[in-house]
Amino acid sequence: MSRFEALLDAFFYRPDEDVSGLLDFAVGSDGLAPRVLEEEPTEYLAFRLETECYAVPILTVREICKVPLLTEIPRAEPQLLGVMNLRGELLPVYDVKLRLRLSEVPPLVAGPDAGLPPKAARILVLKTQDGPAGVWVDSVAGVVRLKPSMVELSPAGLRGDRDCVAGLGRKGSQLYILLDPEQALAP
Amino acid sequence: MTQHGSKALAEFVAEATEILDALGRDLLALDEARDQEADPERINGIFRAAHSLKGLSGLFGQERITQLAHAAEDLLDRLRLGRLTLDDQVLDALVDALDTFQSLLGETSRGEEGEDLTRRTRAMEERLARMGSPAPPAEEDPLERLELDAQVRAVFTEYEEHRLRENVRRGVALWRVRAAFDLTDFDQGLADLNARLKPLGEVISTLPSSRPGGATGIAFDLIFGAKVTAPELEAGLQGTPAELAPLTVHPSREDPSATDEAASVPPPEAVGPGPGVTPRTKRGGKKKGTRARPLALEAGPSQPLLPADTGATGRDAPSETSSGAPGLVAVPTAANGGPPRMRAVGGPPSTALGLQSAASAPLPAGRPRPEETSLRSLTQTVRVDIGRLDGLINMVGELLLIKANLQRLAEASRQDGTVALSKLFGQELSRETRQLERKLEALQEGLLEARMVPVGQVFDKLARLVRRIAREAGKEIDFVSTGGEVELDKLIVEELSDPLMHLIRNAIDHGAEGPEARLSEGKPRRAVVRLRAEQKGNHVLISVSDDGSGIDEARVREVALSRGLVTSSQVSEMTRRELLNLIFLPGFSTRSSVSALSGRGVGLDVVKNNLGNLSGIIDVWSERGKGTAFHLTLPVTLAIVRALVVGVSGRTYAVPLNSVLEILAVQPHDIRTVERREVLDLRGQTLPFLRLGRLFHLPEREVNRHFVVVVGLAQQRLGIAVDELFGQQDIVTKPLGGRLSGVKGISGATDLGNRRTVLVLDVAELLEEGIAQERRRA
Repeated sequence: MSRFEALLDAFFYRPDEDVSGLLDFAVGSDGLAPRVLEEEPTEYLAFRLETECYAVPILTVREICKVPLLTEIPRAEPQLLGVMNLRGELLPVYDVKLRLRLSEVPPLVAGPDAGLPPKAARILVLKTQDGPAGVWVDSVAGVVRLKPSMVELSPAGLRGDRDCVAGLGRKGSQLYILLDPEQALAP
Repeated sequence: MTQHGSKALAEFVAEATEILDALGRDLLALDEARDQEADPERINGIFRAAHSLKGLSGLFGQERITQLAHAAEDLLDRLRLGRLTLDDQVLDALVDALDTFQSLLGETSRGEEGEDLTRRTRAMEERLARMGSPAPPAEEDPLERLELDAQVRAVFTEYEEHRLRENVRRGVALWRVRAAFDLTDFDQGLADLNARLKPLGEVISTLPSSRPGGATGIAFDLIFGAKVTAPELEAGLQGTPAELAPLTVHPSREDPSATDEAASVPPPEAVGPGPGVTPRTKRGGKKKGTRARPLALEAGPSQPLLPADTGATGRDAPSETSSGAPGLVAVPTAANGGPPRMRAVGGPPSTALGLQSAASAPLPAGRPRPEETSLRSLTQTVRVDIGRLDGLINMVGELLLIKANLQRLAEASRQDGTVALSKLFGQELSRETRQLERKLEALQEGLLEARMVPVGQVFDKLARLVRRIAREAGKEIDFVSTGGEVELDKLIVEELSDPLMHLIRNAIDHGAEGPEARLSEGKPRRAVVRLRAEQKGNHVLISVSDDGSGIDEARVREVALSRGLVTSSQVSEMTRRELLNLIFLPGFSTRSSVSALSGRGVGLDVVKNNLGNLSGIIDVWSERGKGTAFHLTLPVTLAIVRALVVGVSGRTYAVPLNSVLEILAVQPHDIRTVERREVLDLRGQTLPFLRLGRLFHLPEREVNRHFVVVVGLAQQRLGIAVDELFGQQDIVTKPLGGRLSGVKGISGATDLGNRRTVLVLDVAELLEEGIAQERRRA
């Protein structure tokens, strides 16, 4: 890309570009501004799994906690890492990497042979229809606000045997894979 | 719904459930005493319950319940006033109405309002309104035979008049009890008098006396129907200001001796109460005339003896009273609306129907078959005696004292931090912790007690159900339940209701024979279904038994083979007991014709699973021709149990101690194999042996000895091999819940105090697996 092309590219407005300051500045100067402002952004919690960045709607997240001692459940499905005791509440903790094909074998994080969890790892406690459930994430990236126009629905069966990817969000150059918690945690 | 709204609704449901429970109990009592005269107090009680339900549901805007309660109240009002006889039809209608109430309340608690149920409610209301047959014909109005002041009679309410009439009709000795009290404490005196009178008979009416009670006093006349003789009554009222005066009742006109006398002796004119014997006939004769007049108008001579009782409630009432007591025009209050109701009356005459004949009677049209409803309560509330709560609060108070002491000790040790702690200090500290331990134990015990409810709560509901099932199945059943006072954890009692319902359905549907079949086998006509609870140590034993035909083990074998549940080689080695236990396998049902009640093939295995969830087990006994019994063994509580903490491959598990029989230390060479499955020889008996590590796919470690935890429930035994024993501890088990309910062999998790979650083994399921392995390999 030549320097001229880059300049030209920067000149054009892209729908996922954050130009709110510019729009505020331009309010009233033409009929376009108010319509764009009406688009309500949704807040997502972004987190990392392996090298990829994922996000879930922040309203489905009950809390985020450090990885406690996990107790493995014998003869359970492989994506069930174990159970944790969160202030007296018993919560199952799941691994979604298997389902997303990010890894081949479930990590050994529960039981006597498990090592210390990585410092950045967290458990997201998600609200689901079958009650709260914990999801192991490698690190939490933060909260992102995505407008509907920044989200493209993913073609069905993008990856995994289930359609647990609800869509792709794009903000600037960062790509967020939007996870559907119900599908990702379905047995 | 708002937070506030849902809370109010929960309260409504809790309270309405209580009313319905009371209603159910009273109806059941009425049902049990079908052939006898109904206790008026009981009918009155049901009436009041319907009335409170109406008020309560009205307050909460529950339109459908209000309407139905109104209809029921209406019917009960007619009943208690004697305008309606309590026959089987009425009783059935009331029981069905109770079912409808229960369904309505169920929908309300879920915030629904189903079309079907609304229609059913409408139909029920209409049925209640149509309900009614004239009271059995009485020969004359017995009230006419009573010597009572016209003024006194005028102030009776309709109900009081009815009760008085009943008492006269039955020839109860009637007394006027006159008592004067001081104005300052007359309410107490009157209550006292009533309490004294209650065991001696029935207080029909309490009226202010015509006799002045002095400047600062007030006198009452109580009309009293005595169950006891005059001297006993006098003795019972010793020490009260009561004066007794008998109310004279003339013998019935139909009494032959009286009629003779009446014919021979010219009667004197005597009206008004008073002691002494007044010859009877004058009023009787007058009465005849009185009665004849309206009757001739209404029914014609072909029906000369229309019930006077019925007449009194309707348009006859004014004419009768006016002729019986000239100058009296007051009509008792509740007579309003009498005539229209009278027109509605006209059902078939009452007949004495037993359960059997009631069964053959077709169900009223328009009423859908009652759906399978669960007997679980709609509310999660437990009623706790305030005394128990006070005890708990006291304990908390003492715990706070101990905490203060400990705090003081901690403060002291912090301040003299550098100084070596004295021996005295250590002693004091250990004394306080011992105190703390004791109090905590007491608190735990108290809280557990508060969770306990009598199993009778479920038994009552089941008794009602038996009636309906028997009717639908066309069987004659006597239901006997004992041990309702045995207490179990509320949670267990709730979970128990559905399995018990299923077993009782089975007993009636499969167990008990029809009346003819029973008679031909030389058994009494009515089958007996028994429900019994008794406490045995840490467990409660509940049995459901019948004296029916018993289980045919040959049929069981046949069916199990034809369904492919077992192989013929397995069957050939089975004992009778093992054969019987095949009925608990999924997909087993011996009845060739599938009935609406049971026999869908999802019976006993579900029952067994439900019990397994409660750490309970089920066992069956049966003898051909003699009957069948199911024995359920259940722990008293699930809230806090003592557990054995064991270790396998570095993992820790807890085993509820109530199912642990003994612990053995076993050398690897003691383990033998029989047909490739491992067993232990335990005092000459073969014990199935299960390595927990292997079952749970844990990495196995080489050990030079195993600890074997022998667990058992009923007759089943299993040795579970573990690597280590850590001791005993009280644990509070948390169920794995929603997402993890499918996990096998684990009943829940607990925290042993070191913030580490430990899984609790589900002994019933492990036994199941151990036995199943045995069966597979056999």
